Amino acid sequence: MAALAIHDLSVRWQGESLVDALSLTLEPGRALTILGESGSGKSLIAQAIMGILPAQLQAGGDIRVGGHSSRIQDGAARRALWGSKLALLPQEPWSALDPTMRVGWQLAETYHQVGQVPRGQAGGRARETLQALGLPHSHDAWPHTLSGGMGQRVVFALSTAGGAPLMLADEPTKGLDLPLRDDMVMRLQAVLHKGGSVLTITHDVSVAQALGGDVIVLLDGKVVERGRAEKVLQEPSADYTRQLLAAMPEHWPARKPPACAGAPLLRLRGVAKQYGGNQLFAGADLDIGAAERLSLWGPSGSGKSTFGDIALGIRRPDAGSVRRREDIGPFGLQKLYQNPLMSFAPRRTLRQSMQDLIRRHALPAAELQEFMQRLRLGQGLLERLPHEVSGGELQRLALARVLLLKPALIFADEPTSRLDLISQRNTLELLIDTAESSGAALLLVTHDPHIARALGGRQLRFPWRETQAAEEGVRGPIDRG
Amino acid sequence: MIRLGLSLLALLLALAVFGPWLTGVSASAQDLERVLMPPGLGEWLGTDNLGRSVVTRLAYAIRLSTGLALLSVLSAAVPGTALGLLAAWRGGWVERLLVMLADAVLALPGLLLVLILLAFAPGAIWPFYVGLALVLWVEYFRVVRAQARTLLASPQVEAAALMGFGWPYILRCHLLPELLPILLTLMTLGVATAVVALSTAGYIGVGLRPPTAELGLMISEAFPYVFEAPWLIIAPVATLLLLIAGLACIAEALRRAR
Repeated sequence: MAALAIHDLSVRWQGESLVDALSLTLEPGRALTILGESGSGKSLIAQAIMGILPAQLQAGGDIRVGGHSSRIQDGAARRALWGSKLALLPQEPWSALDPTMRVGWQLAETYHQVGQVPRGQAGGRARETLQALGLPHSHDAWPHTLSGGMGQRVVFALSTAGGAPLMLADEPTKGLDLPLRDDMVMRLQAVLHKGGSVLTITHDVSVAQALGGDVIVLLDGKVVERGRAEKVLQEPSADYTRQLLAAMPEHWPARKPPACAGAPLLRLRGVAKQYGGNQLFAGADLDIGAAERLSLWGPSGSGKSTFGDIALGIRRPDAGSVRRREDIGPFGLQKLYQNPLMSFAPRRTLRQSMQDLIRRHALPAAELQEFMQRLRLGQGLLERLPHEVSGGELQRLALARVLLLKPALIFADEPTSRLDLISQRNTLELLIDTAESSGAALLLVTHDPHIARALGGRQLRFPWRETQAAEEGVRGPIDRG
Repeated sequence: MIRLGLSLLALLLALAVFGPWLTGVSASAQDLERVLMPPGLGEWLGTDNLGRSVVTRLAYAIRLSTGLALLSVLSAAVPGTALGLLAAWRGGWVERLLVMLADAVLALPGLLLVLILLAFAPGAIWPFYVGLALVLWVEYFRVVRAQARTLLASPQVEAAALMGFGWPYILRCHLLPELLPILLTLMTLGVATAVVALSTAGYIGVGLRPPTAELGLMISEAFPYVFEAPWLIIAPVATLLLLIAGLACIAEALRRAR
């Protein structure tokens, strides 16, 4: 009998179809991945299975989890299965731990309450589990003292404590950096090895690849393609799947490094910075050349953004110096933010914000139109407020705003990490092209080594190591090109 | 909710503005032949123990309460906001000093300061104004400082500074639009607090003196006649209730709209 069977699942809102007649079956011990970008309806599918669809949506269809059949709209029927028949893996797992309970107690409590283990034995089970996870010393630890990876393992143990044979993972890798993502995928694979079945809902193609099994590709609530993972991800038949795969950073063609000559724009010498008692970097020397492309990559919290902020003069280093070339004006170094929405005044229309800038610097107004055309942005967008524009468009508008100032260097701090694959690729390509054609240097922060490689310039690895400069030819004046 | 609040306030303010003009008598005009008259056609809300028109007295009392409350709230909000912005902007010892001052004021119960000042000038109106303003500014200071600190550290302000905008622009386009809804909510609640403080003082006999028409004073003056003329107590209590309810409705609507 199938671990999960869904027949004719549909979700509508005000007559508009959000998810259209989806049927699927998941056999025990297998993986099924629903792949889609934001707006594809994949989160609604997860909510429908869990039984937590918002009440104003009209849902229909049948679902069977284990031996329990119910109508899709009867959410309470599935909520009763949580833990025992249906394990849910929360997004950003470490934040799902109760901050006021010690780790071992939380596990023991879950074994007792959800797993029906007698109270006397639950504590022992919790210890065994922590031992098996390689966390024997965390039994009495508070959740906030765990690292992201440790927290992730604990939450995994919690969500499987009820012994549910089916695991539902909704965007399990969202917001995770590479090591955490790999760890997460390993955990999901371990569930499969033990004979459990895993339904994953994600935008991340590499997760689908790693888990194997079956894949359903979703676009605007409709199934575009479905089949075995190897088949769909190797030889896709639908155009959309092909686009999606081509947009993965590992498939981007690497660009040629730009030619750069002349005196460097910025000279950093002996730069050091501490944060929260952590030495992020010390004695960092770096020259950034005119029109150069440079990527800073590494896991989150390793000091990439701080390094860029120091180069830009937004933050002061604890030690060392940052020298700008004399001809760079006070506004010659500009920044693009990870979340463009946070970088605009929220209650001013985009036209107002742009005009404020044009007036402030007495710029020719026609240039904005030109940049917007080059970035494929319609003029109508300007009449909206920042939150009424999609993330990709807003990041391009932020780029247009920055370009107005003719910057010598653009520091882009993970500018596309919140975007879908396809719009990430479009946005980054436009960013690189416009930086190149306007002669601006580009300093790009990313956690994805494939993006760093595709950028085709020098790569700075974080956490910063003294030796990397010599290894990778970072130290010293730029004499190439 | 905003509609309910605004209509309540409009009703009471209309009474305050046009009441005396409709009845055509002054708040202190006594008519000893017509004392303790029940509400009726001639006197809508009746007369008190000295034959004074209750409608007229209510109208003057509302004028007094709302006028004083508005004035003290404005005199608290403006410096409170300015100091909050200053503390968030400058940081360092300026901020520490201002926070210390605010904490010191916060340690005093608000009404106590008013009472101390009243001891110097019994029956005068300025102790209310000064006392309330001296207590209420702290609230604006604390809220504005906390919000402004987050905003000043946000990417939108960093980006604006990087693009060459000076502090007047950042203040006008980034800080104030975010702060304004919060300030309006606080000010509406502040007006309610001030109205209650004034009538509390009047009610316990340390506030304004007779024959001033004041809500708290009217309530305590009506006590001896509570059985013969209950309308004397009901009218000012109901007015106070409606005034506070109206303000609370508006504050709640503003808070939700944020």
